[in-house]
Amino acid sequence: MVEEERGGTVLDVEVGSVGGRSLIALSGEVDVYSAYKLRETVKNLVEEGHYDLVVDLEKVAFLDSTGLGVLVGGLKRVRNHGGELSIICNQEKILRIFRITGLTKVFPIYASREELQAKVEEA
Amino acid sequence: MPREETSEFELEMPAQAKYVGLARLLAGSIARRMRFSEESIDDLKIAISEMCTNAIVHTGNGDATKPPILVRYLAGDGFLTIEVRDRGPGFDPACVLDREREDLLGKGFGIPLIRSLVDVFECDSRPGSGTVISITKFVEEG
Repeated sequence: MVEEERGGTVLDVEVGSVGGRSLIALSGEVDVYSAYKLRETVKNLVEEGHYDLVVDLEKVAFLDSTGLGVLVGGLKRVRNHGGELSIICNQEKILRIFRITGLTKVFPIYASREELQAKVEEA
Repeated sequence: MPREETSEFELEMPAQAKYVGLARLLAGSIARRMRFSEESIDDLKIAISEMCTNAIVHTGNGDATKPPILVRYLAGDGFLTIEVRDRGPGFDPACVLDREREDLLGKGFGIPLIRSLVDVFECDSRPGSGTVISITKFVEEG
């Protein structure tokens, strides 16, 4: 069900940390109306010197190519600084979009924050 | 089995990003009533989101003075067709393949994504007369 915010799509963005990296936890729908929130969050974090980012999509109900474009833009931005942008997602409907567009080969994708944390500790 | 009647719905919406969710919501509601699978409903919601986003971008990108976008839903016997019509500048349909290539090279994933999620994809556009993109998805058997 789409929630409405001033007539548009709702997307909540929370910033935290996981495994020593900056975490962007999204909740809601990412489309042409709401994606600017993610874009601005990534931009601000990079400007503050955070180059290893993790975007958690577990609570994302909808993601289209505008959202994918913002993630790819964020990846390019952090890689320019030697960083990485990883994805946390275990939802088949979202993962399918990454597979169709070939982005599973571009982003490191983890099923949970715990899995990412474990990989970081292993390394 | 009796054939179901064909129902048609139209949504005329301002060419503004905040209304894309509304077009998506209507597509999801119609598809759910037609007993599409949840996966197919997700596919249709992504497809219409892409179509409306394209239409908005090509119709002034949110400029409130630009003409509205018309979304038409045709719910038939075992299929749903959705048509998005804009009155933007249009383009040569022969360029769709070039646009796909351009999309995949970094401007977005829109058209290839739509094509991969639906059963039929059609595009009718001419420079100066707007664009109509139409998709059809069939209800899965069983």
